[in-house]
This record gives sequence, C-alpha cells and structure tokens, in this order.
Amino acid sequence: MASGGGRSSSFKVVLLGEGCVGKTSVVLRYCENKFNDKHITTLQASFLTKKLNITGKRVNLAIWDTAGQERFHALGPIYYRDSNGAILVYDVTDEDSFLKVKNWVKELRKMLGNDICLCIVGNKIDLDKERHVAEEEAESRWEPGHYHTSAKLNKGIEELFLDLCKRMMETAQADERLLKGSGAGQSVPSRRGVQIVDDEPQAAAAGGLLFIWLTHTRTRTHTRIHTIIMPFPLN
Amino acid sequence: MSQKPERRGIHVDQSELLCKKGCGYYGNAAWQGLCSKCWREEYQRAKERQIQEDWAFAEKLQREEEVAYASSQGPSSQPGPQPQAQATPPHAALTPFSKFEEKKTNEKMRKVTTVKKFFSPSTRIAPKKGLVEREDRTLRAWRGIFSPSWEMGSPTEALVARLREGHEGKTSSPSISRQASLETDRVSKDFMEFLKTMQRPGREIHKQCRAFIESMANKKQDLGADELSECVQDFYQNLSDRLMSHFKGSSESVERVMDQVEKYIMTRLYKSVFCPETTDDEKKDLATQHRIRALHWVTIEMLCVSMDEEIPEVSDNVVKAITDVIEMDSKRVPRDKLACITQCSKHIFSAIKITKKEPASADDFLPALIYIVLKANPPRLQSNIQYITRFCNPSRLMTGEDGYYFTNLCCAVAFIEKLDAQSLNLDTDEFERYMSGQASPRRPTDDGGWPLEAGPSPQGGAAAAASSVAVNPALAQLHHSLEQLSGLSERQDRLMEGARGLQEELVSWEEGVRREVQHILERYPLEVRPPPASAIDTENAETDRLPPPLTPQVFAG
Repeated sequence: MASGGGRSSSFKVVLLGEGCVGKTSVVLRYCENKFNDKHITTLQASFLTKKLNITGKRVNLAIWDTAGQERFHALGPIYYRDSNGAILVYDVTDEDSFLKVKNWVKELRKMLGNDICLCIVGNKIDLDKERHVAEEEAESRWEPGHYHTSAKLNKGIEELFLDLCKRMMETAQADERLLKGSGAGQSVPSRRGVQIVDDEPQAAAAGGLLFIWLTHTRTRTHTRIHTIIMPFPLN
Repeated sequence: MSQKPERRGIHVDQSELLCKKGCGYYGNAAWQGLCSKCWREEYQRAKERQIQEDWAFAEKLQREEEVAYASSQGPSSQPGPQPQAQATPPHAALTPFSKFEEKKTNEKMRKVTTVKKFFSPSTRIAPKKGLVEREDRTLRAWRGIFSPSWEMGSPTEALVARLREGHEGKTSSPSISRQASLETDRVSKDFMEFLKTMQRPGREIHKQCRAFIESMANKKQDLGADELSECVQDFYQNLSDRLMSHFKGSSESVERVMDQVEKYIMTRLYKSVFCPETTDDEKKDLATQHRIRALHWVTIEMLCVSMDEEIPEVSDNVVKAITDVIEMDSKRVPRDKLACITQCSKHIFSAIKITKKEPASADDFLPALIYIVLKANPPRLQSNIQYITRFCNPSRLMTGEDGYYFTNLCCAVAFIEKLDAQSLNLDTDEFERYMSGQASPRRPTDDGGWPLEAGPSPQGGAAAAASSVAVNPALAQLHHSLEQLSGLSERQDRLMEGARGLQEELVSWEEGVRREVQHILERYPLEVRPPPASAIDTENAETDRLPPPLTPQVFAG
C-alpha cells in the first residue's frame, strides 16, 4: 500500500502479460541493467525492488512478476489486489499477446477502477521488421501510458518506470487530499468504494459460474471492500 | 508448635491456611487450598488441556470416519465400520453438556471439601512436616481421581497427572503450569528485555499491550474471527500511529517495535485465535488435505516445472523446501510463519537456478511452488493462511518480499483447489481416471522391471526409470545408480569379450605360426648329402705345371 507520511512512499507494481513476452527481461533490465546475462547475480527475477528519488521524494518500488501461462490466468486477482500500478506487457511481434493485454486492461479497470495506474508496454521493438501489432492501433486505444520498449537494446524502459512512478504518486496524493477533504474520522473505518460489478450476464446465463470475491483492503485510515465478480464459464 | 488435643472444636492450622503449592501466600478453600495466583494458573492449565483433549478427540473421530469412508469406498465394502462412524458423533455432541456437568460437580465438590475441612481433625502437626505434607499431597491426588474433577476425561490420565503433580510438588516448585507455557514465558521475557532498552516509550508499549491482551481475553468468546482480526489490526494501527506521532519514532524503529509487539501479542493469543471454532477453517483444512492426497499422481512434467530432480543439488533443495513449508505449522507468530514460506521459496529458486542456469521468473516459480505444496501436503494449510492474513502486520503482507511469496502460496492453493484436466494438459477422461484411482500415469508394468533385469533391452529399463523419477527422488537416485551399474557391467562384459577375442587371436596366431613353420619345414626338408670323396686338389689344373717334387739324391760316398 502506498504509505504516505511525506518521507517515503512504497508502491506495489504487478507485471502482467503472456509468457515469453519479456516481462522478466524488462524488469531485469530496469533493476540490474542486464539482458540475458550469464552473470546475473540475483537468485530470482520474480520479486525485485528499486529505490528511486523523484523530485526529492523517496520511492520504494516493489515489482511483482506474475506467472503468465494461460492456466494461471484465473489467479490474477490474488496478485493484483492492493497494487498501485500494473505493467501490461505484450510482444509487438505477437498479436495474441496484444489481445491478452486488452483483456487485462478491461478486467483491471472493472475490478480496481481508477485506483490503479496502468502502463501498456509493447516490448521487443528491436524486432520491428516482424511487427504484427500496428503501432497506430495500439496507440489509439490508450493515449496515456502506452510505451514501446526493447529490453535487449535498453530502449524506453527507464522512461516507462519513471512515468509510472510519477503517476502513482499523483494518485496517492489525490487520495490523501480526498481523505482530508472529506474529514473522515480516524476511528471510524468508513467503508467506501463498495463496487458491485455487473458482469456480462450472458456468461452466467450460458450455464457459467460466477465467482464472487469479497476482498477487503486496509489502508491507514479506512477499510475498503471490493466485490469482485468473475465470470467462470463452464465447458 | 505443640501437639493439641483433637477435640478443641474447629481449628485451622497455620500450615493449612497457606497455599498448597507452597508459594508462601495464603490459600483459600474455594480455590482448592491454593492462593489466587496459583489457582488461576492451575485453572488455565486445565482449560488448555481440555481444549487439547477436545482436539485430539476430534481428530480421532475424523480418523475413524476416514477409515470408515475408505473401507466403504473400497472394493470389498464392509458394512461394519459405517454404523460405527455414525454412532460416534453423538459423543461429540455431548461434550458441551458434559462440560456443564463437570462444572456442576466441581462446584459441589468445592463445597464438600470446605465443609470437610472444618470437621476434619488436624493431624498435620507432626514434627516431620515435609513428609506428612508429601503424604497429604499424594492423598489428595488419590482423592482427586475419584471425584470427577474439572480437568480430566479418563481416570488413568487423571491418575498419572495427579501423581506427577504430587511428585513435582515435593520439590516445592512454585508452579508447574509455568512449564507448560515455556514458550510464552520466554517470549514475554524477550519482549521485556527489548522494551527495557527504550525507557518511556517502552513502558507505554507494555501498558498498551497488556491492556489489549486482557481486553481480548475478555471478549474473545463472543467474537467471530473477522472481528478478532479487526481488533488486532486496529491495535497495530493505533499503536504504530501513536509511536509515530507521540514519540517521533523513525519508520524503521517503529517497524522494529511493531515486529516485537506482534511476536508478543500473537504468542499470547495464538491458542485462542488460531483456527477458531467460529470459522470453518478446520473443515477447509481437511478438504484441502484430501484434495492434495487425491492429486498424488500429478507429476513434475504435467506442471511443466523446470526443476531437474536428477541433479542431486536440486533434489536436495526440493527436500529442504518441502521441510520448510511443513515447518510453517509449528510456528506461532505470523512473521515466523512467513519466514518459513520465504525460506521455502528461496530453496525453490536455488533449485530452478541450478537447473536452468538463469534466475527464476514467476513463470517458473509458481508451478514449482505448486509442485512443492502437492508433495508436502502441509498440515492445516488453510488455517495457517487465514491466520497470517488475519493477524500479520499488514505492511509486511502487502508490499514486502515475504508478502510476495505468501501471495504465491495463496495462488498455489487456489490453483490446486480449482485444478482440472485442462490445467494439466490432460484429456478429461484421463484426468477422471487418475482422480478415481483407476489408472496411474506411472504404468506399473514398466515400473516392475529393474534396469538390471531388463538387461537385454536397455530401452525398457530407461523408460521405467524415467517414469518413476517423478515418484520419488530416492527411487530416481536408485534407478540412476542401477543404470550406472548396468552400464559398468556392460563395459565389463565388453572388456571380457575383448580379452577372450584377444586370447583366441593369440591362440590362432600361434597355431598359424606353427602351421607355417611346419609348412616351410615340409616344403624344404632337411637333406643331409654325403660329401664328394675326392682329392683336395682334383680340380687344381695348375698342379701339372708344378715342378716335380724334389727327390732325394744319393751321392756316392
């Protein structure tokens, strides 16, 4: 959770995207500045942290890699709850991975609303010749927060993370202001943000299952209850 | 003290007024002759024992039920155990009532002993006070067995415990119950030591914690697990806020204090808030356990785990990871439990790194963790997860590394719960067959033949070894060694053959040489020709021209 307090804030960022799009490479490039290196010292590349200093404010980034295989897709909500940012990576040479990112965006917006800052990243631009995802199409969909990177050539990665940090800080500040403005009491946990998402009724009608997750988030001053409804088609 | 006549009315001796535990304070008959402190300890202990016993009983019931279920499921279903299992639950249903009854008899007994005390002659003024006291203790112990006291279920257990109590009482240790909660004591002491270094804030923290624990003890009966969690979390929040604002602590030091506070509080509250009766955690635990047991056939290949267990270091790490995840259940403090998960994850990472020669990404890690959980089948998994979620310091759980691994564990459990044919890349039919136990991916016919026995067809042996790798690392090792051995023996055979060949070759060469010699000998037989009998100088033509030999001349003389 973003812990304000002025001195330093920490943010949780999840990495989402299909397997083999280069999620791990992007993070390793950013945190270790290495690519496909035989001398990488870290034992693992699934949880990495980075300390930043943005306009005099200390920021701790915790980057959570997620398993991208299709069979783990349903576990997404466990990973991305309470995260401040999400980086959605696709491979510019692979149209399917782009479609998956589109679905992720839809899902995240539905579940977390505007509490989460999204970054869509088209990776592997060094393979531009084999490009299958048209730049225009990708660009037109999401104006802010779309990036093209190459972990191999170290292109666009620094910018991506810096931008994300700034946006997350803004969101956190806006949140704080909102809390102060409403004058919510410290002692009474106000339960705001109860979202009940009406999710594609046809899925349910077609003999599917609805999984309802009731998660609750605790921040410094209030408790938030998220209701997450997931369609789970049965076949 | 002098001997006094027995018929002096009601007389209560000084020694009888003292606490029976020998702690030096006055006792009270209403507390079975103990002082208030010892009585409370005693009572607490008894209650804990009761809870433990209930647990054991519940587990026993569960086991019986399982056995009954298994035998009824089996091919030769026996009708016997089923009704037995059905008959046992009423016992469980009875316990609340029996508890109530115990309480009643306890009350009654207390009254009786009080009355008895007043009328019993005081005979305990013998000069050998210690000895008599000991006897008295034993006597009381025996008496205790025959009255249904508030502690024990079975008389034998009561006997043993009472005797032990009497025995230990002899050494005049002030309280036995302290030994039972050794860990709590140690943690409390550590906590005090820690707080001593902080002076004023330390005192404040101590006061707050004490008050909190007391308030929790008062209200825990009528609260659900979520409310309890809410209370504890609010306490963490308030205390850390307070430390931040009143004592101007830096966030690092506050975090350090909060870690200690968490350790202290949760060690004290563990018994009452871990897997509470108000939730169905226990049921979920059993369900998960059954589920994992039913999935015993899942192999490392089905999960696409990038760990090669044939490498000894990897299998070493796998074993360590399994041990760690099982060990989690034995820890009391949420943070310690998290540490176990982290340790387990680190071992998995090492295993992956050794196999793949590159740092593990989440794509590798999650399947490996699922595999480890399936192999370990950790006890009370759901309860532990719930406990950590409810009572861990939230900052740790949300962003820290520990939190990441914990989240992955939650994912692994969620995956195992929902696992189906598709997620293992199997046909639905195949999956069903494996689940129902009709088939096993290990194919026992291949498994039966040892590589050595399958000497003439080494492929068969290799296949068997490969299929059983997933079953057991030790077995894999065994297969590996056997394979090596068979390889060695094959080499030896080849060597022997070579040697034999060489020998044959040598023999045939010798033969050949001999034959050749014979042949040559035959072709060129040895002829001994007589030498030509002639004068040495027959061919000498020059001899004619030689002057005639000198003849002797005779001179007249």
